[in-house]
Amino acid sequence: MLPGDFEFKRLKPSKKQMILLSIVGFFGLLVFTGIVIVLTFVLTAWMNGQPIIFANEGPEQPIVFPHKKHVEELGMDCTFCHRGVDKEAAAHVPTTGLCMTCHSAVGDGLDGITKMRSLYEDDRSIHWIRVHRVPDHVHFVHEAHIRYFSEKEGVEASAVCSKCHGDVANMEEVHGTEDGRVKQVEPLKMGHCVDCHKQHNAPTDCATCHY
Amino acid sequence: MPLTRRQFLTLMGGSAGAAVLFQACGIPEKELLIDSSVEMPEDLVTGLDNWYATTFQDGLSSQGIVVRIMEGRAKKVEGNTDHPLNRGAHSAQAEAMLQALYHPDRISSPLVRTGTRGSGQFREISWEDAISRLASVFDNLSDSNKALMLSDIVNGNEKLILDKFVSTTGIRQVTFEPVEHTNLLKAVDHVFGQKNIPDFDIDNASLILSFGCDFLDTWVSPTRYSRGYGEFRQGHHHRGKLIHIESRFSTTAANADEWVYVNPGTEGMVAMSIMHEMASHGEIDTAHFSQADLSKIEKYTPEFVSSISGVSVETIQHIAEEFSHSDHSLAIGGDSASAHTNGLQNLIAIYSLNLAVNNIGKSGGLIFNPEPPITGLESNQPNSSQELMTIVDEIKSGDIELLLVKDADLYYGLPDSMGFKNNYSNVPMIVSFGNMMDDTTSIADLILPQNSLFEDWGTDVPLAGPGYQTVGFQQPVVRPYFESRGQNLGTKGFSDVLMTTAQVMNVDLELGADTYKDVLQNTARELYELNRGDINGSKYSSFQSFWNALLARGGWWDHNYKSDHSFDFGGLVDISEPSFHGNGSFHLIPFYSSAFHDGKYAYLPWMQNLPDPLSTAVWETWVEMNYKEAESMNISEGDVIEIRSSNGLMIKALAWPNPATPPGILGVPIGQGHRDGGRYSSGRGSNVLSILGLNFDSQTGALAWSATKVNITASGENIRLPKLENSVPDFPRDEHNHVVEITNGKSDKGH
Repeated sequence: MLPGDFEFKRLKPSKKQMILLSIVGFFGLLVFTGIVIVLTFVLTAWMNGQPIIFANEGPEQPIVFPHKKHVEELGMDCTFCHRGVDKEAAAHVPTTGLCMTCHSAVGDGLDGITKMRSLYEDDRSIHWIRVHRVPDHVHFVHEAHIRYFSEKEGVEASAVCSKCHGDVANMEEVHGTEDGRVKQVEPLKMGHCVDCHKQHNAPTDCATCHY
Repeated sequence: MPLTRRQFLTLMGGSAGAAVLFQACGIPEKELLIDSSVEMPEDLVTGLDNWYATTFQDGLSSQGIVVRIMEGRAKKVEGNTDHPLNRGAHSAQAEAMLQALYHPDRISSPLVRTGTRGSGQFREISWEDAISRLASVFDNLSDSNKALMLSDIVNGNEKLILDKFVSTTGIRQVTFEPVEHTNLLKAVDHVFGQKNIPDFDIDNASLILSFGCDFLDTWVSPTRYSRGYGEFRQGHHHRGKLIHIESRFSTTAANADEWVYVNPGTEGMVAMSIMHEMASHGEIDTAHFSQADLSKIEKYTPEFVSSISGVSVETIQHIAEEFSHSDHSLAIGGDSASAHTNGLQNLIAIYSLNLAVNNIGKSGGLIFNPEPPITGLESNQPNSSQELMTIVDEIKSGDIELLLVKDADLYYGLPDSMGFKNNYSNVPMIVSFGNMMDDTTSIADLILPQNSLFEDWGTDVPLAGPGYQTVGFQQPVVRPYFESRGQNLGTKGFSDVLMTTAQVMNVDLELGADTYKDVLQNTARELYELNRGDINGSKYSSFQSFWNALLARGGWWDHNYKSDHSFDFGGLVDISEPSFHGNGSFHLIPFYSSAFHDGKYAYLPWMQNLPDPLSTAVWETWVEMNYKEAESMNISEGDVIEIRSSNGLMIKALAWPNPATPPGILGVPIGQGHRDGGRYSSGRGSNVLSILGLNFDSQTGALAWSATKVNITASGENIRLPKLENSVPDFPRDEHNHVVEITNGKSDKGH
């Protein structure tokens, strides 16, 4: 018999060894599961922008702002509050002063309104949490994209937003988010940008976005 | 710790892995905050700029500028194409006003002195406290005549308010410029009966004869003159000729077709001699000259003047011939020609040359400036150094109890031998309105910092106007930078502070308004009701729309409203020989630094780094001297030279020997050598004004700042002169690798 050959007789582990083996096996399984989870997390985040596990349903905002109420029920246009979107690079969150044009009169008794009014009176800004973000080395100009699509498809500026941002107005129902949380629905990764640029014959030169 | 290859790779791999891993965890929370502003101005669009017009007053002249504002911050300055003086051009100083706004050493609140004078120890106080302190000083004055308001030359509504404040409180007012223009204004008054400086139509001139004034770089209104010069050289007419007569090789001399060296202080005699030549050929226009004037010229024969001035007879003759035969001749003079004991006489002779060709009011000649549309807005006149000397004497005897200082750096600008530096402690209270520490502000007891140019209101009626009625408007293009410090700290406008102080003192200034902005609006309303001008009130339905148009345009002017001034020539005068202070072997000729002018811009780092047009030197004080003389004295570039005047005072400067400086002349730039002036100028270089001898013009009392004779010695030290030119050495030559010169397709090397 050659040394190292399988020796059946020897495979009779003692009880102690059995316990050790099961513990080691259990931890091995745990480590394996851990690696799988981490890899899923990393790879999906890498590819999609939002990891498919451990992803929250959009950040919690300091004030519960119901997009549904404003857009769906009151019929307000996106550009009414996000005033920069068809003029400049940033779409902007509205100034508190703009909120106050209506909410100095309407919305008494609502928690969010009370909080917003007190911040306004104290001359303090609201610290919103950003939902959509491209890295610092990418320049995304809202104005150019809005102009292109609204001219090409003959639609209003506000009809273009959903191409990247999804149906923000109905996000509560579509994605089952609560508290009017807004969630990122498109990956907003470079591949996503380039695909769309190719589809619409837009330049894919590096310097188009990285300048 | 040495790192092995293996360790390095492990660390690299580890950190790369970690980077991939943690990338998925998202972005740090603070990166994701978006502040929504509380209020946003209507015209504020992120990423898009707005340009607001305002006016930059710089000494005797001004420039209309537009300032690029992005997200409420000033970013860039350009010339206002509409403004009649600069028409779109602007100076480096206007550009650097951005740094005046953002300067890290700006004073951000009223200060009261806590340490000894000059120790730089101050404590912040509120505006309310500061103004009540100022008011109580006024209350405790034994005699209001013992309080003195020292300011730079001011005009517009600021001057109006200053005048009212001075007259209602009964204090005295004196203007101060480190390098004064008294002789220029007195000469213009003598020759043309004008209180302001006429516009020189350089644009349309065909021959310019300039005496001593570096008008392309620093003199009076260089931006306006440089614009005209462009037209003069490359405009629609044929190329004009520039003859420059000066003892120093200045930027203007370097640009001239002909630079004529003249012995210091004899410029007036050369001008007289030119007139003598013209008269002897019967080519002088006698419309303004009386027989007495013509007989004054007689003794200045070219031969006589040549022996004194060092200008050859032939040169005088050919200048006279060209000057009388050119279609549009123009003579200007100032600076070193005026800074002598006979400065006024020099300038009278020089400006009389214009009468000899009678170019008054003509294209390419002198265009008088009319009175401003609203009386009282005209600029105030400079006080002479001799008047300041009497002030210093009063300080010495303790007769001044309160010194209010607005943009007048007395400590820096007065020669040491006047004695202000040793006697200022006799003044119990010095109040400064400076928003930067300068030599005078740092010895003040109370500092009430004024707004910088971009934060304040104002109107501007320049002393050297464009030849027609002009009222420039200055508006705040940004919110005050220190606004965040609250109402009780931060900076405030000078005029507003005066108005508030008057209110606290229960003195009525009779302005009919509570804030400076209201005062300006009242002025604008008067302009609106004139119903004329390029921004014509009758074309606007309401005052508000006129006001907006006025601010958008940068001011009000009426290019049709010209001067109908007629004058009686004050007559030619005899030119006395110049006398000099001291018995040194060199003429010390200080000159306006093209970056700092009289020193007030030295705190701006962009100005420190602006190369002098001739030497290309920066950040230092240098002394221009003749290279052969330097060689004979064994002086080479960068040697630290001690310049000593006969009153025992000394400054150090780095030698810059060059072939253009005439023998016997030392040119030293004015502007460095501040004791205090922020981190960029404190203790840097030397102040040439400090060693000047007390030598005055006998008629006007102006300091003869070009009439000091000095001796020099090399200290033995050498510091490399920081300059742009020749800072990159030649490539080393490789003898074995010849560079083949290609000419007409043939190579002479024949390889």
